Amino acid sequence: MENFWFACLGCFERELTAMQFNTLIKPLKLDGSGDVLRILVPNRYVMQTLDEKFVLRIKELGQEFFSRPIQVELVLDSASDQEKKARDEKPQIAEAASEGKKQKSQSKTDSYGLNPSLTFANFVTGKANQLARAAALQVAENAGGAYNPLFVYGGVGLGKTHLIQAIGNHLREIRPDAKIGYLHAEKYVSDVVKAYQHKSFDEFKKRYHSLDLLLIDDIQFFAGKGRTQEEFFYAFESLIGANKQIVITCDTLPKEINGIEDRLKTRFSWGLTVLIEPPELEMRVAILIKKALAAQVKLEEDVAFLIAKHIRSSVRDLEGALNRVIAMTNFTGKPIDAALVKEALKDIIGRIQSITIESIQKNVADYYKIKVAEMYSQKRSRNLARPRQIAMALARDLTNSSFPEIGDAFGGRDHTTVMHACKKIDSLKINDATLTKEYNLLMQVLRGD
Amino acid sequence: MKQLLLDIQPASPPTLENFVVGGNDELLQVLRNLDKRDFSQRSLTLWGEAGSGKTHLLRALVANAHGYGLRAAYLDAPQAAQIVEQQAELISLDNVQFLDESAQIALFNLFNQFRDQGKLLVVASDVAPAQLTVRDDLKTRLAWGLVYQVSGLTDLEKIQALKSHALERGMRLPEGVVEYCLRHLRRDLPTLMATLDALDEWSLTTKKPITIAMVRGLVQMPPGFS
Repeated sequence: MENFWFACLGCFERELTAMQFNTLIKPLKLDGSGDVLRILVPNRYVMQTLDEKFVLRIKELGQEFFSRPIQVELVLDSASDQEKKARDEKPQIAEAASEGKKQKSQSKTDSYGLNPSLTFANFVTGKANQLARAAALQVAENAGGAYNPLFVYGGVGLGKTHLIQAIGNHLREIRPDAKIGYLHAEKYVSDVVKAYQHKSFDEFKKRYHSLDLLLIDDIQFFAGKGRTQEEFFYAFESLIGANKQIVITCDTLPKEINGIEDRLKTRFSWGLTVLIEPPELEMRVAILIKKALAAQVKLEEDVAFLIAKHIRSSVRDLEGALNRVIAMTNFTGKPIDAALVKEALKDIIGRIQSITIESIQKNVADYYKIKVAEMYSQKRSRNLARPRQIAMALARDLTNSSFPEIGDAFGGRDHTTVMHACKKIDSLKINDATLTKEYNLLMQVLRGD
Repeated sequence: MKQLLLDIQPASPPTLENFVVGGNDELLQVLRNLDKRDFSQRSLTLWGEAGSGKTHLLRALVANAHGYGLRAAYLDAPQAAQIVEQQAELISLDNVQFLDESAQIALFNLFNQFRDQGKLLVVASDVAPAQLTVRDDLKTRLAWGLVYQVSGLTDLEKIQALKSHALERGMRLPEGVVEYCLRHLRRDLPTLMATLDALDEWSLTTKKPITIAMVRGLVQMPPGFS
């Protein structure tokens, strides 16, 4: 391959301008000596140009050189790019730190891992979670009682963490001396690893086995972690045996967690298993209104309804949408109404498809009731030429394609034809109200507004 | 003899000031407020197509934070494994759409930790959080804070951006060069900027002024190259 690459270089040096050769070809590096020609490319721009203009030519040369087809692979040279960046930045972090202006990190949670702002009082209840809430409250009042363990499961962002944190906060209020521990399963996993490394399992056991209430979040993170599961098994046996309360959350039913030992799965369903379902529409509206109130923002019910209709998946998504709406009203000074919400939600929901020249051609052809094929045909009657011009102008406005690329996509037309079309449409838009309306409408449809 | 270049790139590190705002005025105001260390304990998710300026903004935020004596780091997806080691008040993570399973868990943990400690996490991706193909528990977290689409520039704004980029590099651009690039090249900003940089380097190496003929020499391929 190396010999061939040198042959390629020689060839390119003859065929290209000195500038092209020096800026595009010379910085390239050959990677390895396998059967595939792997070329390390310094940046995205060169990558794109090579991909578009050179790969075909290299393959032609390969065919001549080896008398068989060859494979060419372009790889971004991470060593020249990423690592350099990483090297650049690491010292900066150290530098800033050594200036001694370190901010003390203010944790919102206390030594128990509890966040005092997550309580039963501000947990919005609806059909989807009332059973889970009732069970949680029961457990908080009677820790170590009948519902042990309490296993709360449901999809992401539905309030599982809020609920079990509320149990902890409630218990602390009624029994200030109770030993409570909230942690995410991932933290438990890393604690086990640390105990293993430092041979400090006695200390580890002492910490977890002496709790009155253990709240553990996202137990599915234990999957495939044998040692963690073994340790948790002992902790579980010891706590339940001493009538101490355990509360677990998970994304699924105990028997359906993958990669967890059977003896744990059975134990998880010993107590009470409750489901939190995605909030129904009324509840989503209630959540929004409550959150808005907390943020001291006025949110009318019909507007909350509009947000709730569009954001269905999780409470977190709802909060995110509300955050965005509040940010927009702060920025524009406009009241929160339907129009503002629609504008703000665009960023949240996002366009599903990216806009391509093909999708533009199809939409424009459909709109003017002509065949898509007329977009690339050579016919120049006005009822075909105008939509074609509109499509070209839309391709200019909505994609990053070059004018030559746009011309190619319209039946191999010259880039000057595209430029003429764009100019034509631009000037028509000044005087022709109908055309302007149609153009804007197509733009909206394509953007998914 | 060939003139060797003393390569002291980049001439213009990304800042919020040299970002051509275009349709992103609300986003820019939010970012400028972050300047005042108003972290208000929210994560920030920027998304938009390649070349819309996400990386520029992420790097600008990190540079600003350094300016305040805060610890901050910019990381691209391939370096995501390092986020666990970072002791920083602000981390920006680029290209989250490329995170593998273990990096997604690392980001998930970092998110929870940062949210708890009131530190700022800024991430960028090519699509809106709702469209991302990452773990659901991470996806909803990324949608939790403020989500902004970074919208690309219009052709006119691109011309403005390129001209000010050239000015910062001290390039002398004759009338029509930028316009020529927009007519003949892909019109995403990174391609256009990289072309200007290549022209600048070539002009310095050969000690020839930049002309439209020179641009043509770079972008027009001889026959045989499709």
